[in-house]
Amino acid sequence: MNRCLVIARMVWLDLLRRKDLYVLLILLGGLLLALLSLNVFGLGGMVRYVKDAGLLLAWLFSWILAISVASRQLPQEETRRTIYSLLAKPLTRGELLFGKWLGAWSVVCAATSLFYLLIMLVVAARGGRFEPLTLAQTGLLHALGLGMLTALALALSTRATQSAAAALAYVGALASYLIVPQVPVFLAAETGLRANGLLILYYALPHLELFDLRQRAVHDWGPVPGALVAGLVLYSLVWIALLLLLGWLGFRRKRFTRGAAR
Amino acid sequence: MAVAIELRDLSVSFPSRAPGGAVAALQQVSLRVEAGTVYGFLGPNGAGKTTAMHVLLGFIPASAGAAYLFGTDVRQSIARQRIGYLSEHPEIYPYLTGRELLLLMGRLFGLGGRALRDRAAELLQHIGLRHAADRRLGTYSRGMLQRIGLAQALINDPDLVILDEPTSGLDPLGRLDIRRIIGGLRARGKTVFFSSHELSEVERVCDHLAILAGGRVVAEGAADRLATPGESLEQYFLRVVNANTSREESP
Repeated sequence: MNRCLVIARMVWLDLLRRKDLYVLLILLGGLLLALLSLNVFGLGGMVRYVKDAGLLLAWLFSWILAISVASRQLPQEETRRTIYSLLAKPLTRGELLFGKWLGAWSVVCAATSLFYLLIMLVVAARGGRFEPLTLAQTGLLHALGLGMLTALALALSTRATQSAAAALAYVGALASYLIVPQVPVFLAAETGLRANGLLILYYALPHLELFDLRQRAVHDWGPVPGALVAGLVLYSLVWIALLLLLGWLGFRRKRFTRGAAR
Repeated sequence: MAVAIELRDLSVSFPSRAPGGAVAALQQVSLRVEAGTVYGFLGPNGAGKTTAMHVLLGFIPASAGAAYLFGTDVRQSIARQRIGYLSEHPEIYPYLTGRELLLLMGRLFGLGGRALRDRAAELLQHIGLRHAADRRLGTYSRGMLQRIGLAQALINDPDLVILDEPTSGLDPLGRLDIRRIIGGLRARGKTVFFSSHELSEVERVCDHLAILAGGRVVAEGAADRLATPGESLEQYFLRVVNANTSREESP
């Protein structure tokens, strides 16, 4: 576990010394301020509008950050050839993969917390506030969704290049969030084998939309039952474990060629 | 005497689209490197030196045969606890400082605390990079990267150091530094296993040599006994490699 933490720390140092995070933070702040100052149809003055726009941007930016950070970890080690220095230590490939995931997930969660903090400040400046327990649940489920997303991007990057892994992760995430929840609608018009196939697809694919409690936080609908949150925690952990297992299967015997001299 | 490295009938082949379906990079290579020796691993480009090192380090699996480090199968990560490795191209994390790199690599060996900090400071002093210890590696020159790469290979005070072309791309002063460090390791009873194209370097520092050509060991023995009297190591190397290469290429 200690070696996993060392790898995770390296991921943190990498992100903190790059410009990505700071650019996203500045962009988020700038967009929030722009939304407030535009005041289209008088919406700038509505706290709900600010909450909604802020949380949407936080989701968008955290997804971008999660996919870009996770998908570059392993391909970057390979193209820089630093993978050899790491694997020459008493470090297993499983530990390397888990450490990378842990680092990517934790650093993206920390950045997302900063996004939330910024939104809370802007909302407070408009005289509004979030209901604390609902916001905590929104943040927790958001973080778990990010865990699945980083595991997906990392698993894909064990076999694909950085850009291909990122592109596939975006497609997978958007499909999981937008298309998979619509499967029951298609199901109504299908019968027989095709309907069964769609049903299997519906249950076999991850449901990222389940982790989105933004509307509850925006409209102060109150927290969801604890048992439901516990179920979603379990659901996300199973998916993270499954995706990391798939990543490990692709990585454990991989021969490195990109950037490598034979 | 203890055996630091043992290769037993090691074969490695890579998948290929060429007829036959695979390219043999190593063919039944057997070697024993005794602890405390400086062992040179020579061969022309594409002879399989780096492939053999990569098998030893567990980067690639052997197609057949076995490899051991201090008697432990290289497929177990614990086999790498007592070794240090410097790759041919030490392209190191540009966002870390020299000191941070050494501390992080040390922690991967389970080291920590004051002992690790002292060891990192000692190595930075030893390789002449104390003045640049807190500078980002992205600002280091090629020679400085090679030296910090060597320092990270030595952070755990390894019993066996594997160096892949350690003097490649270095100026004469850099080569002298590497020779000095290898000499220091030998004096402390450490085993050094290194590949090089620089035959004069090899001649100066090695006790034992193996020459690889076409994925096979074609010569092996004490460095001062391999060549015939009056023959330089370079002449011997060319004779042995040409003989084996032309034999393979003839119909």
